[in-house]
Amino acid sequence: MAALTAAPARPRKLLASRKTRVGILYALPVVVYLLVLFVYPIISTLFLSLKNADGSLTLHWYVDALTGVNLSVLITTLRISAETALLSLVFGFILANAISRLRPLWAGLAMLIVVVPHFISALVRTYGWIILLGDKGLVNETLAWAPGAPYHLLYNELGVVIGTTSMMLPYTVLLLYGVMRGVDRGLLAAAASMGAGRVTIFRRVYLPLVAPGLASAGLLSFILSLGYYITPALMGGPNQTMIATLINQQVTKENQWNGAAAQGVLLLLLTLAGLLLVKLISSLGASAKKRSAS
Amino acid sequence: MAEFGVITPSVAVVGGKPATATGKALSVVALRKTYGDIVAVDEASMEIAAGEFVTFLGSSGSGKTTTLMMIAGFCEPDSGTITVGGRDVTRLAPQKRNLGFVFQQYLLFPHMTVHDNVAFPLTLRGVPKDEIRRRVGETLEIAGLSGFGGRKPRELSGGQQQRVALCRALVYRPPVILMDEPLGALDKKLRDQLQVEIKTIQQELGLTVIYVTHDQEEALVMSDRIAVMRNGLVEQFDTPRELFERPKTPFVADFLGAANFLPGRIEQHTDEHTLVRLDRSGGLLKARRHDLASGTPVKVAVQPGRLRACAIDDGFCSGTVETATYVGTLVRAGVRIDGGDAPLLRLEVPAGRGPVAGERVGITADPDDVNLFAGEQEG
Ligand SMILES: Nc1ncnc2c1ncn2[C@@H]1O[C@H](COP(=O)(O)OP(=O)(O)O)[C@@H](O)[C@H]1O
Ligand SMILES: [Mg+2]
Repeated sequence: MAALTAAPARPRKLLASRKTRVGILYALPVVVYLLVLFVYPIISTLFLSLKNADGSLTLHWYVDALTGVNLSVLITTLRISAETALLSLVFGFILANAISRLRPLWAGLAMLIVVVPHFISALVRTYGWIILLGDKGLVNETLAWAPGAPYHLLYNELGVVIGTTSMMLPYTVLLLYGVMRGVDRGLLAAAASMGAGRVTIFRRVYLPLVAPGLASAGLLSFILSLGYYITPALMGGPNQTMIATLINQQVTKENQWNGAAAQGVLLLLLTLAGLLLVKLISSLGASAKKRSAS
Repeated sequence: MAEFGVITPSVAVVGGKPATATGKALSVVALRKTYGDIVAVDEASMEIAAGEFVTFLGSSGSGKTTTLMMIAGFCEPDSGTITVGGRDVTRLAPQKRNLGFVFQQYLLFPHMTVHDNVAFPLTLRGVPKDEIRRRVGETLEIAGLSGFGGRKPRELSGGQQQRVALCRALVYRPPVILMDEPLGALDKKLRDQLQVEIKTIQQELGLTVIYVTHDQEEALVMSDRIAVMRNGLVEQFDTPRELFERPKTPFVADFLGAANFLPGRIEQHTDEHTLVRLDRSGGLLKARRHDLASGTPVKVAVQPGRLRACAIDDGFCSGTVETATYVGTLVRAGVRIDGGDAPLLRLEVPAGRGPVAGERVGITADPDDVNLFAGEQEG
């Protein structure tokens, strides 16, 4: 009896272990890739940021990064990133919402128009904006009649945010469009059949359904903006120095690798904090809903 | 129910048939809808009484959904009028019509709990919180869903989800509830069960329901009246019994009764009956009295269950039993009629007295069960 019940276990175990071995074999390139390109650089950056000139451990580089000019650069970075995230979310929402209502053919075309500029180098696009937004640029030429013209649209925070928002827009549109396409239009019809007006349907059905997309799109553009380099450097003034620019300066001009490493680690921590925040908010929202239901 | 701002007709339910004392809940007059060259709905007219369970029955593409969508307001008719409780709603937006709709795909809000889904239409109507809780609880209980209020729709089975959708459509007591193949996505057993449940709830609450299905049995089980639709036309709008026993067109006779059709000619009339000479066998068949002139070509329609096998010389025709299939309480027989290669005549007779394959039989039928249609009509 015992032999009978034990018999089928052996071949299954053999199979399972072979499966595992094959699995490891398949995973190996990915594991090596991640180790070499992600884990090793992050760890070595971490060490660099904690090392004194004489090789002893120190937090001095972090104190440095969080005081004086460095701190204000950090705050500017956070502010510009938040502004960019908000604006690219608003414009992304309007665009994606409009596109998701088009017929599939037109929608495809519209998505192409949104995404294709992204294939052009960010540098080229940034210079494009500089030409457009300059005091003698197209925008100011057309608005020459307006009071207060020419408007200063470059080398200030407005210029940076215009630039970064335009860079982030394709991401938010793509993400939101995908989520919006996934919303069953029948749900909106169902709400209407029960007597819900347009505003109610939007607020209580559509918005909650696309909310996860809004959160991830906002977070993505925030995180991407945190480390953005070219556009802020070219379209901003000295007051719009962002952390990536600062890191670049420290490495190329001052040969200050340890400080740069500390700032890099801070950037990473900020990104993780952002991710955590969104997770927290969404789980809080879910539990609040559960409580109100029971 | 007055607290919902909806006037609900009180309907006395007597012996399964709602007494329609309060008059019509919905009327549709000459409703028409075309898509390019396709006439989806062609001059549909019907009056539906409060408390009635009406079914649109027809095969796919016959215009059932389009008619329902026009009533709901999701689709604008080319012409015609729709009146709900005496109010013309033809050009009104769906949300202004105060109707209930149950969709085949359930369409529950995935981000809301079962409770919130059912509460949704009440919150729109500004019903106080305590009242909402009470009404939702009651409604869920009627549908056997007590204790499911805190769940998300995706945590329920298909049948449960459709029950929630039903609750959501009836919790605010709309004067008419529309259902488009609500059981179409469920398996047979669950469908049978929910048919009974929906029917019971409809009768207990005196709901007016317009139901769409392509399943004859479902329509027969649930409906007070059935509108048989075909190519956008309402062929006949009648009680199941009338449709079954007095079909107005060959299509209805075929679709509901799966009738046998035999070509013939009116021979003569007696006081009570009309005699028809059958083309193929030459036999003489007694049918219910009909007003068609003598000599008119007709189509004779008799349902398989209304034909009887008899002694070979006693019937209106004779033939050889080719197939005899035992199906539970019945034997289904196919009889090759003498004098022509017409399709097999289909019989359903009680098992035990059934004919056996190879047997020579006569065929007869009660004149009351024989329907005649003018012959030029297509079957
Ligand atoms: N939006 C539409 N565009 C074009 N033709 C349609 C549309 N909706 C329905 N039709 C056509 O109208 C006819 C009736 O369709 P429908 O009402 O959906 O039938 P049913 O619900 O009985 O299956 C069909 O021939 C269908 O192809
Ligand atoms: Mg349909």
